[in-house]
Amino acid sequence: MSSRTGKPVIHSAAWRISLWATLAFACGTMLVFVFLHRFVEGDIQRRSDAWLSGEVEVLGDVAERTPKDALYDRVVGEVAELAGKEVPNKDPSETSSNDSVFFLQTGSNGLLKLWVGTGSGEPNLKAVQTTTIIPDHPNDLRVQGFAVPFRVASTRLDDGTYIYLGLSERDELRVLRSLRLRFFLLWLLIVLLGFSIVFYTTRRMLRHVRQITEAASRIGHSDLNARVPTTKRNDEVGHLALTLNRMLDRIENSIHQLHTITDSLAHDLRSPLTAIRGKLEMSLSATHGEKAEPIVSAIEELDRLTDFLNKSLDVAEAKADALRLDRNEIDLDELLRIMIDLYEPSMSEKGLQIRLQSGSPLIIEADAALIHRMIANLFDNELKHLPSACTVNMMLGVEDGFASLILEDDGPGFDPEVLTHLFERRVKGRESNGHGLGLAFVDAVVRAHGGSVAACNRETRGARISVTLPLAANQQAKSPPVASHDVG
Amino acid sequence: MRLLLVEDEIDIQTFLRASLEEAGYQVEAAVDGKTAERLAIDGQFDILVVDLGLPDQDGITLILRLRQMGVRAPVLILSARRSVDDRVRGLEQGGDDYLTKPFALAELLARLRNLLKRNSPPGSEATRLRVLDLELDLLRREAFRSGEILQLTQQEFVLLEFLCRNAGRVVTRSMILDKVWGMRIQPDTNVVDVHIYRLRSKVDGKGQQPLIRTMRGVGYVLKDR
Repeated sequence: MSSRTGKPVIHSAAWRISLWATLAFACGTMLVFVFLHRFVEGDIQRRSDAWLSGEVEVLGDVAERTPKDALYDRVVGEVAELAGKEVPNKDPSETSSNDSVFFLQTGSNGLLKLWVGTGSGEPNLKAVQTTTIIPDHPNDLRVQGFAVPFRVASTRLDDGTYIYLGLSERDELRVLRSLRLRFFLLWLLIVLLGFSIVFYTTRRMLRHVRQITEAASRIGHSDLNARVPTTKRNDEVGHLALTLNRMLDRIENSIHQLHTITDSLAHDLRSPLTAIRGKLEMSLSATHGEKAEPIVSAIEELDRLTDFLNKSLDVAEAKADALRLDRNEIDLDELLRIMIDLYEPSMSEKGLQIRLQSGSPLIIEADAALIHRMIANLFDNELKHLPSACTVNMMLGVEDGFASLILEDDGPGFDPEVLTHLFERRVKGRESNGHGLGLAFVDAVVRAHGGSVAACNRETRGARISVTLPLAANQQAKSPPVASHDVG
Repeated sequence: MRLLLVEDEIDIQTFLRASLEEAGYQVEAAVDGKTAERLAIDGQFDILVVDLGLPDQDGITLILRLRQMGVRAPVLILSARRSVDDRVRGLEQGGDDYLTKPFALAELLARLRNLLKRNSPPGSEATRLRVLDLELDLLRREAFRSGEILQLTQQEFVLLEFLCRNAGRVVTRSMILDKVWGMRIQPDTNVVDVHIYRLRSKVDGKGQQPLIRTMRGVGYVLKDR
């Protein structure tokens, strides 16, 4: 849930994917357009060049054939004007005269012989004279006073004069500009649309991935019945969900098998134990005096065996993450006070002191029976291993949203040899007479509840065990102040 | 008291029947669910002891069927499983009880007595308990031996009250832990014994008849004669 509300969209994978996809798409279409633009540009120029070359040839013919008399200017000028009218005047600002075409004939003296077009023709003449124009091949010509260059074709007449026909590139550029503008608007629209489509689909797909992640993280401990959501679509995400669910099926199956094995093992051992214990008890009630002694010790051995069996099964199940928890609210503060009340006489009998520092109720959600036995194990451990005149200090508080219980004593501390694998099964100190399951059991129970246990020797003297357990949901908001309160 | 014992292990059934009969119950035994059903309908039983692992059906299923058939008697469930099933918990809330194998006979008998008491109409709750010359005032939480007040802590009073309520009967250490401290734990140290020694030193003064007796290998008993 947190990923939906906590992270901004910019950090999501959907955003990144759509950004990159859109970028690639935009660059690609832009490249295609550049090629297209060049092609259109070239084509338009080719067409206008062809027209210019044709017209200048016709005009050359007319100029050659027309006698060089007074009417020459009018005849050639008229023909040139007619040619100019073929070009549509698209400039809306000028209605009467057409400035997109000009006709120019230079005399052999280099002066303007004939001029048809807008203006005096002098700038055009100057431009023609300063630019080298190869005859029969259209060229670009920049004329002073005109923003847009002309395309000029020329031909040489037999009398040594030149005629020039110029066509403004204004129309060509206008066509290309409007093409670019339209393309750009459309391109922007398509890119935005593409971005939204990609973003929407990847987000939908990734939302499913996120749902799978959330479901999988919920499954974690104990809740193995749950499955991640699946879709009908037969894509990668659908496969991921199906694969995860198949994996969960297998895990659940093996956990179930483990339960079956431990249950049947427990059953197969417990039934004979029950029968033996019952028979021993019955014969005990019929026996008196010294003869009862072996029976009594047999019963005691049997009870130890039962305890060992229970703990072994619990540790085995907890190590396999298969401990069945029946969670209820437990007040650790109250529980510790009851435990101290229970253990204090035995401890003071042995010359041990026990103190508790705890401020206020500390509620955890846990399996009461297991937590009771876990704490009893910690107390038993201290009671069994501490020499007399030692003190056990217990501190209960809240640390980083966890309930934290610390046990410190000033005894001999842990044997350095066993310290590193203290919480493994069957590990015990050289002088210990237990079966080495106590701390393994503590570790197993705490882990099954999502907590942690650490043990070390204190710098000064003695051992230190710290246990953390997750707080109950409603306890997390408030963290009680730790006040000192001595018991015992 | 008529008791129906449903247990498929012959060994266990034999000694249970013997000790239950010794405790004064009229015992009928069944080795499977079918026989149990037939017996339960024919005979009027006051209480049932049912093992969960029966050869032909699950013990819980049997209990639920018997309930449907109108059998109202309380049930003590014997379970070889240590962790308790949700359905057992449901039955426990409905007034039945369970016991994990292996168990002490004393505990079985105590739980049976509790079940029968729970199901009998409530009498007027006594405010004083008297066992020989030991007297407990339950309202003022005070205890007297031969008329002299005993200096007991709150916890010691609760422990003594529990022993008095079961006077003449053996109570086990795990029963004491369950009833006095509210925990089903099995400490491998002598924590309960030390509490009993302390209590005994206060209750059984010099020259007085010792009331609290240790039954080795079983538990403790408060003498009532």
